[in-house]
Amino acid sequence: MIFGKSLYCSFIIIACFFTVATAQNEAVATVDSVGQILPQPPGNIIVADHKYDNGGIIDIAWDRSPDDPLGIDGYNIYRACGDGDFEIVAFVLPGGMESYSFIDDKVERGESYRYKISVISSGGESFSESSVSVRGDWEFFDLDKLNILILGIIVCGSVIGFIFTARAGRKLFIRKISGLEALEEAVGRATEMGRPILFIPGILDMDDVQTLAAITILARVSRIVADYDSKIEMPVSRSLVMTTARETIKNSYLAAGRPDAYYDDMVHYVTDEQFGYVAAVNGIMVRDKPATCLYLGAFFAESLILAETGNYIGAIQIAGTARPGQLPFFVAACDYTLIGEELFAASAYLSGDPKQLGSLKGQDVGKFVAMAAMIIGTLAVTVVSAWQFKFFGWLSDLMYSMFSTN
Amino acid sequence: MLKKELIVSALIAIAFLIAKFLLPKPIQFSRTVSVIIIILLALLFFFIFILTVKGKYIGRRVVFLLVGIALLLPFFMQFTLPLQISPEVRGAYDGLASLKGGSKVLASFDYDPASAPELQPMAEAFFKYCFDNDIKVIVMGLWPQGAQQANLAVEAAMEETPRYRDEIQYGEDWVNLGFQAGNEFVIVRMGESFKAMFPRDIVKNLPYDSIPVLKNVRNFSNIDYSINFSAGKPGTVEWVQVAVDRYNLNMAAGNTAVQAPMAYPYLKAKQLTGLMGGMSGGAEFEKITGKFGKATTYLLSQSFAHMVVIVLILIGNFAFFRERMRDK
Amino acid sequence: MGFWEQFGIWLAALFTIGIISFLYKDNVLYKACEAIFVGVSAGYWFVVYYWDMLYKKFYQQVTDPVNPEWYPWLGVILGVLMLTRLSNKIGWLSRWPLAFVVGATAGLYMMVYFVSNAIVQIQGTIVPLAEGTAGDIIANILVAAGTFCGLIYFFFSKEHRGAFGGAAKIGIWFLMITFGASFGYTVMSRMSLMIGRIDFLFGRWLELIP
Repeated sequence: MIFGKSLYCSFIIIACFFTVATAQNEAVATVDSVGQILPQPPGNIIVADHKYDNGGIIDIAWDRSPDDPLGIDGYNIYRACGDGDFEIVAFVLPGGMESYSFIDDKVERGESYRYKISVISSGGESFSESSVSVRGDWEFFDLDKLNILILGIIVCGSVIGFIFTARAGRKLFIRKISGLEALEEAVGRATEMGRPILFIPGILDMDDVQTLAAITILARVSRIVADYDSKIEMPVSRSLVMTTARETIKNSYLAAGRPDAYYDDMVHYVTDEQFGYVAAVNGIMVRDKPATCLYLGAFFAESLILAETGNYIGAIQIAGTARPGQLPFFVAACDYTLIGEELFAASAYLSGDPKQLGSLKGQDVGKFVAMAAMIIGTLAVTVVSAWQFKFFGWLSDLMYSMFSTN
Repeated sequence: MLKKELIVSALIAIAFLIAKFLLPKPIQFSRTVSVIIIILLALLFFFIFILTVKGKYIGRRVVFLLVGIALLLPFFMQFTLPLQISPEVRGAYDGLASLKGGSKVLASFDYDPASAPELQPMAEAFFKYCFDNDIKVIVMGLWPQGAQQANLAVEAAMEETPRYRDEIQYGEDWVNLGFQAGNEFVIVRMGESFKAMFPRDIVKNLPYDSIPVLKNVRNFSNIDYSINFSAGKPGTVEWVQVAVDRYNLNMAAGNTAVQAPMAYPYLKAKQLTGLMGGMSGGAEFEKITGKFGKATTYLLSQSFAHMVVIVLILIGNFAFFRERMRDK
Repeated sequence: MGFWEQFGIWLAALFTIGIISFLYKDNVLYKACEAIFVGVSAGYWFVVYYWDMLYKKFYQQVTDPVNPEWYPWLGVILGVLMLTRLSNKIGWLSRWPLAFVVGATAGLYMMVYFVSNAIVQIQGTIVPLAEGTAGDIIANILVAAGTFCGLIYFFFSKEHRGAFGGAAKIGIWFLMITFGASFGYTVMSRMSLMIGRIDFLFGRWLELIP
């Protein structure tokens, strides 16, 4: 009898347990005033100020409604500013995920906000509890990008340091660049043949660093031209380049003691249109037959056309560009080519300008850092993948994070 | 000399006039004729090789003519070549295919008519795919003619598939915000607000806020995917440097074959989801989307021209080494 | 097809043939087409600059009835200063807008290039050399070796001698092979453009292509 009663009580307790347990997971039918079955609201609303922003973004996350995804149409996000009323700010479609997130980027910095999430279905709309109040704050530094700052300081600091070193008069070593020696020889050849030198500074404007390098080299070339009493012709495709080039050549002629030999038409504007410019330059090359063609700067599709025509007329050609897509044509068709950074190195080498020399040396520091990182990182990652040494795992993670941008 | 030039010009003009007014149109070679032509061309190259061995080199004008013939004749032939889809084009397609209906794609048209043979087929296939899959397209351009090229691509898609004229509504399914000067600075400003850079569209001059497809589109964070058709600067490089790296935009690119090598480092570093390079990239994209067009048609000419160039390079190198050995 | 459309096609065909005739030799038709192209393109860009920059970015913004802006005036002032170039006396003023243009773009490019073209690329080069298929391993070794030796070639602080010189030579080999591949890609691009022109000439103009 006692055993039977105990067994009966156990059954009741177990039945209650299961009833409660299953009730947690089953949809609890909540009926509204017109008898519609409302969906269960989402829960666990978490709001936080977005990291490293200007204070105008708040991150919201919530757990899905137990009725998601079957039968629900989506989630409305409501926002209240301070003690104000809630108003709808966004709608999120259901995706069957365990949790959702939303970035509200339309908040005012310094204001406090509260959020509510509602779930919508054919049965109506159910609201979550209101979240805690959150305020959008701004951070001055994005600490996620600290590694970029450190690397930037290393490289820029090296550049500045070497510039000061160069200014102090210390000689900075730059290795020989083969195309440069040919410059003077090329100008000399043109002088002997009594034909002009054609200088093409690329087709981009003065805001491009390659054009700046080309203009620096132009100063040196025009100085040699002035010394040799030769002729230089420079059709350009940008008006700013024209004015700068004229000033450069004028100064070179002045420095050579030949200001009377300079005239503005040495540099003339053609057109901004790429192929219009190259058609005109082609015509100049075929008609005037320059003995030397110098292509220094930023080039695009016209590089092959120019180099091929120069080859056809038998001119000595020296090219230099940092655009990798055009280097093959210059290498194939020109006598000398300054590849990529050699153009900037040439500019620094010829001008002897402390700023340019210092920049070049500083960049070498950057390259050294890159090479060291590649060796260390690649070896570490290889050892980890092959032998799973913990220390190298730490090292490879360090290298990845040092060169990450997120 | 002038008389000779005039005679040559007159002959060429007569040839073109005969072709325009007297020849039957269109011209199409049967398979047999196509094979015969290929055999004749092969024999011609063999003859050129024999001449080279004998020390008689062909001039540059003959090379130009041969390349011209290699480009022209395949237009009249009826061959198709097998085409493999490369991983980079698949990446670009997968990014689009993963989008649900109603997703918004930003399409930047950064090229001019000079690059249209390579990029226009990609653009047309892109629009056809988006229109068929209810993907909303927001068009803009950093080149003045880019936005116009987009309009031409849409027009071509509608001409080929007339039902688009009824099904696709401007403003609801796509919008053209036009060109904005400023190069990469435009992209920087778009990171905060599209409206600041494009207050109105260029087709109907509607205010930004009144265009349905731009509802809730404030900046890059409201865009699901992006594609850039680029022929130079500003283009893919600037988009990657600013929009992708700074604003985490998901982007694929269609580039001219000149630009494509410069975009590969970004593809390798996963800054781009995919890359369509040149006409072959366009043909692969047409194949994978099922929207066949001009790129597929042109591919035979492209392949012929490449084979001719390879043969001429080999013959040229033979001549070069022959000269070198003779000098020694 | 309307008369003006036909006329446009014939004109475009004539210009195409005129420019291509340069491949034979320089001639009167090429010179005429070149001059017209240069002139039309200069005019076209003038119109673009006027409507898309002066009008859109200055006039419309300063005369907006709802929200007129003042900052476009800064651009105009700098632009006018640029024109002082024409005067010998006050030509030095033109250095200021030039400095602004160079400085603004340098400021934008500095971090953009550093992040996208240096940092992300270095991370992309840190790859395991002993993982994956044989093809993956060879590709990773080539990427790592090529990048490293290429950087050595462009290292200007040391003369290319000894082992350093050897690595620089390997670097230049990688560069030349890359240039060859890039050349091939570009040849494809040029062929594509020519195909487009041939399609126009023989398709749209002569209507011979099906």
